[in-house]
This record gives sequence, structure tokens and C-alpha cells, in this order.
Amino acid sequence: MAEKTNKYIVNYGEPVGMVAAQSLGEPGTQMILRAFHFAGIESTIATSGLPRIVELVDARKKPATPITYVYLTGDAKKSFDKAESIMKKISEVKMVTIIKRSLENFPKGMIKLVADEQALAANNLTPSQVAQKIAKKLNISATVDREKNILIKLKTKNVGEIRAMSVKIMKDVVQGLPDAGKAIIQQDQKTNEFYLISAGSNIRDIIEVDGVDKTRLYTNDVFAMYDLFGIEAARNTLVNELRKTLKEQKIGVDTRHLMLIADAMTYSGFVKGVGRHGLSGQKNSVFAKAAYEETVKHLVNAAAFSEVDNMRGVTENILVGKQIPIGTGSVRLAIKKEDMQKVKARSKKK
Amino acid sequence: MQAEVINYIKFGIVSPEESKKLSVAKLNVPDTYNEDGYPIDGGLLDQRLGVIDPGLICKTCGARAKTCPGHFGHIELVRPVIHSEFSKVIYNILQSVCYECHRILIDEKHIQKIKDDVLKGESEQTVVGEAKETVEVQEAKEQEIHKNRASAMQNKKIKTSKKCPYCNAVQPKIRFSQPTYFTVGDRKLKPDEIRDMLSKISFEDLNIIGIEKDISNPSWLILNTLLVPPVNVRPSITLESGERSEDDLTHKLVDIMRINQRLEQNINAGAPQIIIDDLWELLQYHVTAYFNNETSGIPPARHRSGRALKTLAQRLKGKEGRFRYNLSGKRVNYSARTVISVDPYVNIDEVGVPESIAAKLTVPFYVTEWNLERAKELILNKNYPTILNIISKDGKRKRVLDTNRDELIKELSVGDILERQLIDGDIVLFNRQPTLHRISIMAHKVKVLPGKTFRINYCTSSPYNADFDGDEMNLHVPQTLEAQAEARLLMDVKYQVFSPKNGGAIIANGEDGITGMYGLTKDGVSLSRDETEYLLGLAGIYELPEGQKNGTFTGKDIFSKLLPKGISYEQKTSNGVVKIKDGRLIEGTITNDLYGKGNGLFIKIAIEFGYDVLRDFIFQSAKLADAYVTLAGVTVGVKEYEVDQKMDHERTKIITETFERVEKLISQYKSKKLEPLIGYTTRESLERLIITELNVARNKAGEMLVKHEGEGNSAVEMTKAGSRGNVLNLEQMSMFLGQQATLSGGRIKRGYYTNRVLPHISPGDVGPVAHGFITTSYFSGMHPVELFMHAVGSRGSEVYKALLTGRSGYLYRRLSNALQDYYVKNDLSVRDVNNNIIQTLYGGDGISPTESRFAEMEKS
Repeated sequence: MAEKTNKYIVNYGEPVGMVAAQSLGEPGTQMILRAFHFAGIESTIATSGLPRIVELVDARKKPATPITYVYLTGDAKKSFDKAESIMKKISEVKMVTIIKRSLENFPKGMIKLVADEQALAANNLTPSQVAQKIAKKLNISATVDREKNILIKLKTKNVGEIRAMSVKIMKDVVQGLPDAGKAIIQQDQKTNEFYLISAGSNIRDIIEVDGVDKTRLYTNDVFAMYDLFGIEAARNTLVNELRKTLKEQKIGVDTRHLMLIADAMTYSGFVKGVGRHGLSGQKNSVFAKAAYEETVKHLVNAAAFSEVDNMRGVTENILVGKQIPIGTGSVRLAIKKEDMQKVKARSKKK
Repeated sequence: MQAEVINYIKFGIVSPEESKKLSVAKLNVPDTYNEDGYPIDGGLLDQRLGVIDPGLICKTCGARAKTCPGHFGHIELVRPVIHSEFSKVIYNILQSVCYECHRILIDEKHIQKIKDDVLKGESEQTVVGEAKETVEVQEAKEQEIHKNRASAMQNKKIKTSKKCPYCNAVQPKIRFSQPTYFTVGDRKLKPDEIRDMLSKISFEDLNIIGIEKDISNPSWLILNTLLVPPVNVRPSITLESGERSEDDLTHKLVDIMRINQRLEQNINAGAPQIIIDDLWELLQYHVTAYFNNETSGIPPARHRSGRALKTLAQRLKGKEGRFRYNLSGKRVNYSARTVISVDPYVNIDEVGVPESIAAKLTVPFYVTEWNLERAKELILNKNYPTILNIISKDGKRKRVLDTNRDELIKELSVGDILERQLIDGDIVLFNRQPTLHRISIMAHKVKVLPGKTFRINYCTSSPYNADFDGDEMNLHVPQTLEAQAEARLLMDVKYQVFSPKNGGAIIANGEDGITGMYGLTKDGVSLSRDETEYLLGLAGIYELPEGQKNGTFTGKDIFSKLLPKGISYEQKTSNGVVKIKDGRLIEGTITNDLYGKGNGLFIKIAIEFGYDVLRDFIFQSAKLADAYVTLAGVTVGVKEYEVDQKMDHERTKIITETFERVEKLISQYKSKKLEPLIGYTTRESLERLIITELNVARNKAGEMLVKHEGEGNSAVEMTKAGSRGNVLNLEQMSMFLGQQATLSGGRIKRGYYTNRVLPHISPGDVGPVAHGFITTSYFSGMHPVELFMHAVGSRGSEVYKALLTGRSGYLYRRLSNALQDYYVKNDLSVRDVNNNIIQTLYGGDGISPTESRFAEMEKS
């Protein structure tokens, strides 16, 4: 079988980079027209289509919609209640989401927090629990009054400090893990297994939670994956995410192209974006950079630091009108010495 | 044929000495022409700088307008000015060295550390590159060292040290404001002071910063002599009125010279310092604008008409700049452009070329001892095809005219190149913009035809993404034998049937062709001998296929005649299994799945019979399909979309039933009995359930329609064949449009106030009609409210489309720029041109994406 498949090997010198770029760039124009997407909870929250591709290829530090898939181990797989308890540990609840208003009383050095009862109930919290939690965490005194408002007494009466504290309180995470995002329980259609989807990418903390299947933890945030699992994981995440996004749009692009793009972005050991600040901006050739973007800046720097352009790339050679060193330009015709002599001898005869 | 090869290009700064060496004339008259219209000596269009007017002779090289390469001149500035583009570089250097002793502001220890870092960079580079050739390693090292040095300069530690480690002088803070002002305390640093400081920095210190003193000496950035580019860089244009209009650069240079002259006069006259300083600053401004008229911090210099001048930086920059417009993309000869149209009798690897174009374009004909006779014959041809020009061995080009044919034949010798008119069978490249694909350029064989348009086979329109509503395409004639060979062996249409994007067939029949094939191969099609002969004759086959016992032929018999002999293939399609055995279609009907884009049959043919057979199959089957649709007469009219009372009744029934169910969901929600879906609130659940319900209704209506209309309805037939349209389209035209979605996928919510879309809807209504469900069809027409809801969706997608076309174009540009240097080396690893390894084995298996489906098919 190996022999059979060997027939279909890539041609030597094939400009695979360019082909990959074209394969992803050309359907970009088609992607626009299909803005509809169907069922599945992720698809309703997650960025999709061209914006998602751009985000991935740019290697943005934070995706617009990070999503983490948390699979569970043991009983939690089968039991909704256990899954729910794990969900509670992860799902991030910020003060902002459960507090309707915060009223600052500067002369008294007090902050009154008006709780949103519905939001509290949705997260199974009571005002006193919240008060205890923030009191402990921020080292302040917090009590609950008759109207179920949370009262915070501060030692200082400085307006600025009270303001700062009020902002700090509202940003505080009362329950769950910071940056883990809101989590919800899902059930796999095939295996009936419960798992969680959260709208954040703090996998560094999530992986520490008991009952989380460490081997199947996955997020669509490439940098989070790189942080926790390393560059290979980041590369695979890139390939997966690109593939998933294209599949949603029903665009068939060979995975090999996506792999090459992901490898180009990661072979250096870091995740580099495509573009001015990434791969293109870090090329060796002055001309290639100047012909791409920020022409004058690159030429000025080249002159100031006596840079050398070795004229090896595609752009440089096109600029000066030479053959490019790729494809049929990467090989040269040769003739054997004895054959050459024969030719010479023959032409002499005539 | 490359006479000289550029190995590398090193950048640097032009030194004052070099400027003077380059310059052929010192210019001192701030004007261009005198009253007689002749260039003034010492003026900006001095004849020593080259000439542009025909008839004049260059005073430096003695050549005429077209042959003179042009020569530089120079202006002596009475006071030095800063090269504004480099002022940031100057600022960085000034901050890095001591104000008093001009040593670099890092102590020995840190210098050593930087040197170590540089060396470390070296070793890393060799590991990454794994380049074998020693020369390349050396070059790579040098480059890396260089980079590290440059980055050392940006090191913050250097900038912040406040005390010189060598002379202990406390460093005054040097301030810099755009574009060229340097101040220490309240005092302005004049350019000559800066030059003094820069020139006192030692070679070693500059080296640490990353600067090579004899190539990019920073003191050369303070200009005393300004090079003036040759006249042919900034040609003046003579207007119709005989008036001369000068180039923007010339205008700016005139300004510089005027101020320079005024400054000189004032200095000589002993004018007060303030006036001199003012003029000096003005000179600086003009020079800054001359380099870059978009420098931040200066008002752009304007033309009399108010248009900002295009100075040096503007000439290079951006999409219309020298780099992207003239260097990355070049104009070519031997090309043609005209409108395209379809011709089913042009093979897929041919292109129909109008006679008028074929007569004008030429292919080189290399005269050898073996084709000398043919060459003479061609030259003697008075009519097409003939020779247009003869290029003799010394490179001289002579036109072939009726008067000199005999003469030219006498002179003809081996080694001459004749320019022959395009004839049938010549290889040409055919291209349609935007060239998003490599298959947007393919090699076709010429077929000279009467008419004025390029003719292509319909099957080849998809890789070009062309249609025939007025599209134009370009044609190029490769001029060297190497290029022609490459075009024939790599770019020929027959090798591009499968897309490199995913290995699916991209050159395939579509639309009418599919409909025809479907109609022909349907069960129960029986054709007489006459009809069979007619169809196959049009397809170019003059032999009868094996028929039925009663002397008739089924459509399957006719189709089988086109199949390569002995082919066996089986595929499940949306219309049931299609079986081909021993070159005969024995079961099933040909649909888009089997015959259109991305099908598997073509792959099978390519594997077993090669590309030539595949090309002929595509060509002949397309002709056959066209012949059959014409014979059978497939048409679509209003009748296709008009529904009878029964269906109209069904439509109302489906809608009322659905509305009832939605009503039930709403009442459940209102009485808080609705069971929420996992992960959603009850409100969200209600929304989702309603949407599902409404979509179900539409699907149901579609199914019912197709069932009711069935055979005989051409629109339904087309859907079944997969040639055009789907069930949803039919349903929307005949039954009802259904739910109109917004871009986010939900129902339409916003609009009039907060709780309703339009004032025609009662507040808080969550029912179908209130949120964009349309109960009428395109055929029956929409009610006003429905039309509005429909327009919401249309507008949304229109806006979205406009926003995203730009983004997708830019994404493509960035991707191609980043990945263009990658190629497969002969060990199947992917490398860039600097020999860095990107992948050790392409795609993990080394298989070409174009042929990936071949490999899959062979495995199974």
C-alpha cells in the first residue's frame, strides 16, 4: 500500500505555502455570504466564519469568545447533580452580575450593595453568603440589613479610596474561578455523558478542580493551550479550530493546508501571527518587508543598520526580475561533461 | 540568459563624499527653463542631468533622450539640515551615548553581556537552520548578529542610565519632538552640533549599537549636500497649451533652492541671528517635505491647486507606490484581453482566439538548420499565418513588409528568431482576475476562430470563477521554450481538473449539463436510432452503442458509449446507487453528485485512464448533455411555481397547525409550565423551541411540495439532478417564505420601541408573525409587514457582505505574504528560502492535496 500511495506524493519544489494561502484565502470571499448557522449551543455564542479565521491567523492574545470544554471523570459523567457541583466550582460569578446597584456613602465610609434577587437565586446564593465571601476575601466588614442589602463599612472616609474599593468589590469573583466564564452543563447525544462548556479559558485553574478529566480538557483559546500544554498543543488547537470553522461553513479545505499554516505560525517555538507584527514582519529580507507594509520604515532601518538582503526570497527576486527560487526555479538544467563534448565535436564537424 | 546575477544587496547611507562623486553638476539657479524654453545651466533641469526632450543631447554622456540613463546633481546647503526620516534613529543614538565624552552609556560588564548574547544568538541560529552549506551558515550567523545588535540598541537599560560610566558626567535630558527638533533643557540642538556629537562616537561603540560606521555613519544623516535626482526621474510634461508642468519633486527642489539662496544672502549680509535661524528652520521644513510630505508634525506642502505634493516617500509607499505597483507587479507584452463567451465545441484545454488577436500576437520561431525551409515558407506567406518581425542574431528587429520579403529571406540565417503569428495548437496562458487561485491561470491551446471574443468551454469557467455576462479575460503568450514547456507540462487545463484546495474535481459540467445528463440517464428513456445518432454525432462519436433488443437505445446505453472501456465504479448518491460496470452504466441516474463539481467518477477515470481520457470524457459528455437538453427541451416557467388549490390548502393547514403549536408553547411559558432546555433559561428555551417549530413547518411544506409536483415539473427535476436550486428555494417560491433570520441567527427583535418590531404589532407579542415569520410566497407576494421583515434580513446580509469582502481580501494578502517562501524540498520537508524547516514531512504524509482523494480511493 505504501507503494501505491507513494504515487501521489507532492512535487518537489511545489510552492506549498502559496497554495495553502490560496486555499484559505479564496474561500474567504465565499464565506461572507453564508452568515447562517444552526443548532448547537457553542455556535450561538462562538465567533464563526471569517472573523474567527482572521482571529486565529492573527494569533490574537484573547479570542473574542473563549470557550472551554470540560469533560468529567468517574460518577460525574453520569450524574447530573455531581456535574452540577463541579459546574458551581468552575462557573464564574462576578459581583457585577448579582448586584443591581452600589451606593456609596462617603461621609460614613459605607457602601450599600443592592442585590439582584433573581440573579442570586439563579446562582444559589444568599446575600449573607455573598457578604461573608467578600468580607473574607477583601478583608473588610460586611453585613446584611433587613432589606437584604449588603452593607460594607470601611475604615477610611477618603472619597478616592471608597470609590476604588467599590470598583474592586464589583469586579470580585464571588463564586467559581476567575476568567473561567459562565459554565453550563451539556449532555453528549451519543454517550449520554455530562460535560461542561464555559465561556472562558482559564484552563490553568480548571485543570486543578477535582473531577475534571485532565486528559480531555480543551479550549478554543490558542494561547491558553500554549500556556498550559505547550507549543505542540497550540499548533494542534490552531489546526482544529481552523478546520472546525471551515467545516461549519461547509468549505472543504484539505487539512494539510491548515497544518502548514499552523506550523508556520508555531515552528519557531512561539505562536506568531501572520502579518505585520508576526511572520511577515520578521522576515530576513528588507525588500520583502518593504514590499509588504510600512515601506519607508523598513528601508530607513535597513540603511541605518547596514542591513543586507540576500535576495533569496520570492518577492526580492520578482522585484529585480530574477527567476524565483521555488518550483521549476529551484532546479537547473545540467548536461554531462562527456555529452557536452559530443555536442561540441558534432558542431565542429559542420 | 541572465547576464549578471545579484547575489545580495547591502543598504547604507550615502556619505557626503559619495554624493559629490555621484553628482555631475552643482546646481545654484532655483529655476527650470529660460524664456526661450531651454533648460537653464545650473538650474534644476540642467542638461548635464540628462535630457527628456527629444532632439536634445545630454551634456554628460552625449546620449539622446531615450538612451541617456540620467545623472545626479547636487545642491550645496549653506546650513546643514537633518534627514527627517532618520530623526528617530538619531534620537536613539543620542540617548545611548554620553553628552560629554560621547562614549556609549553602558559599562564594560554590560557590553560584555550584550556581546555574549550576540554569540548565543549565533549558536541558536545554527541549530534552527541546520543548513549544511558552510557559506549559508556564515551568512545566517552574520545576519543574526546584526539583528541582535540592533535589538541591543532598543534595550531599555541603555536609555535609562543617567550617569556616564566612563567620565561620570550626569546626562542632561535630550528631548525630541517630531519631526526634527532636538532640545537639551531650553536650548535647541542645531544640526551641526548633532553632527559633531554623532561623529565623535567611536567605531567600537557604534558597533555595539549595531551600526557599521563606514557604511551607515550616523553623522552623514546631517546633510550639507543634497543629491538632486536625474531629470528623467522627475520629467516635466508639456500641456496641450504648450505650457510646461513640472514634476512635484522639481517643485519641491525649487523651494529648497530658493530658501537656500535667501539664507545665503542673509548670512552674507550679516542679518540678525533670529532671521537666519528662521530661514534655517524653513530650509529644514522644505527638505523634510521633500523626503516625506506626510511627515507627522509638518503641514504637507501643497501644489497651487491645493493638492498635496507627492514627494519621495509617497512615490515608494502603498498600493500605488513603486514597490507594489511597479516592482511586485509588472506590465507585460504579448498579451490580449477581450470579452469571453461560451462555446461547447471548444475543448476544455482549448481557447477560441479571435482572428484579429491571433494576427497580432506572436510566438518566437527559432530558425535552425532543420526548419530553415519552413521559416522561408512562412516569411513568404502574404496572408495569415506569416512572420511579423525578424530578430537577427545581433538583436536587431526588422518588420516584415510586403516590399521586403524577398530581401529578408536572403539575409535569413540559422540563429535568427522570427515572430510568427499565433496558430492553432500554440500554448497560451489564460487568466481571469481576481487571481485568487493558481488555477485562475491555466494553459490552453489556441484555436483560431472568427468573431471578437475568447471562447471557452463551459466546464472551465469554474476555476476562473467566470460567467458570461460581460466578463473579460487576459491571454498571454509564453515567449521562451522553457516557459512553453512548463505551460504544457504543468499548467495545462487537463492537469488542473482537481483542485489543490481539496482534491475535488473543479473542472466539471454544471447547470444545463447536469440537467441534461440527468434527463438522459433517467430510467425509462428510450430513444430511436435516429435520435441516438443525432446525439452521439453532436458529441463527436460516430459509432452506435450497444442497444436494446427492439432496436431502440436507452439513455444509459448512450452515456455508456462515452465511458472509458472497462471502467467499473459505484457511488451512493442522493438519488440512489449508481453502478457502472465494465464501461456500462447499469443502474442509477447521473446527478450532480456523480458528474458535477467534487465528484468521484472523474477521480476514478484519472487514476485508471489518465488525464487525456478524462479531458475527452468531460468534453464529449458535456456536448452530449447539451445536445440532450436541447432535444428534450427543458424549460422553467411560471407554471413551475404556481400551486393548485390543494397545495394552497395544505399551506394554510401547515401554517395554522404550526401557529397553534407555537401558541401552546407561549401559553406554557406564560403559565411557567415550560420545561427549560439544559443550559438555557426558560425564555431562551421558548425562543429556541419556537424557531425549531417554524423551521419544521418549512421543511414539511417543502417535502409536501416536491411530493405533489413530482415528475414533469422542470424546477423539481433540476433540484433532483442537483443542477440548480434546492427544495428550500422551491418552497419559498411556491408555499411560504418562513422565518426571516437576522445575522445572529435569531428572530427579529429590535425595531419600534423595545417590545415590538413595528407599530402594527401588539406590544410584547412573541408569536411567529410578530418576529418575522412570513406566511406568503414569492409567487403570491408579501404583505407590507412581511415585506419589511424580509427587508431586515436582506439589508443585514448586504451590509455584512460589504464589510467582509475587504477583510477577506486583506486576510489573503497577509497569508500569501507570510507563506510565499515555503516550498517542498526533495526530502519532502517544507522549508523557507533560508532553509529553515517548517515541516519535516509535508502534511504529515507527504501526499499532495490535489491527489489526496486519489490516494484515498486506491486504499479502499
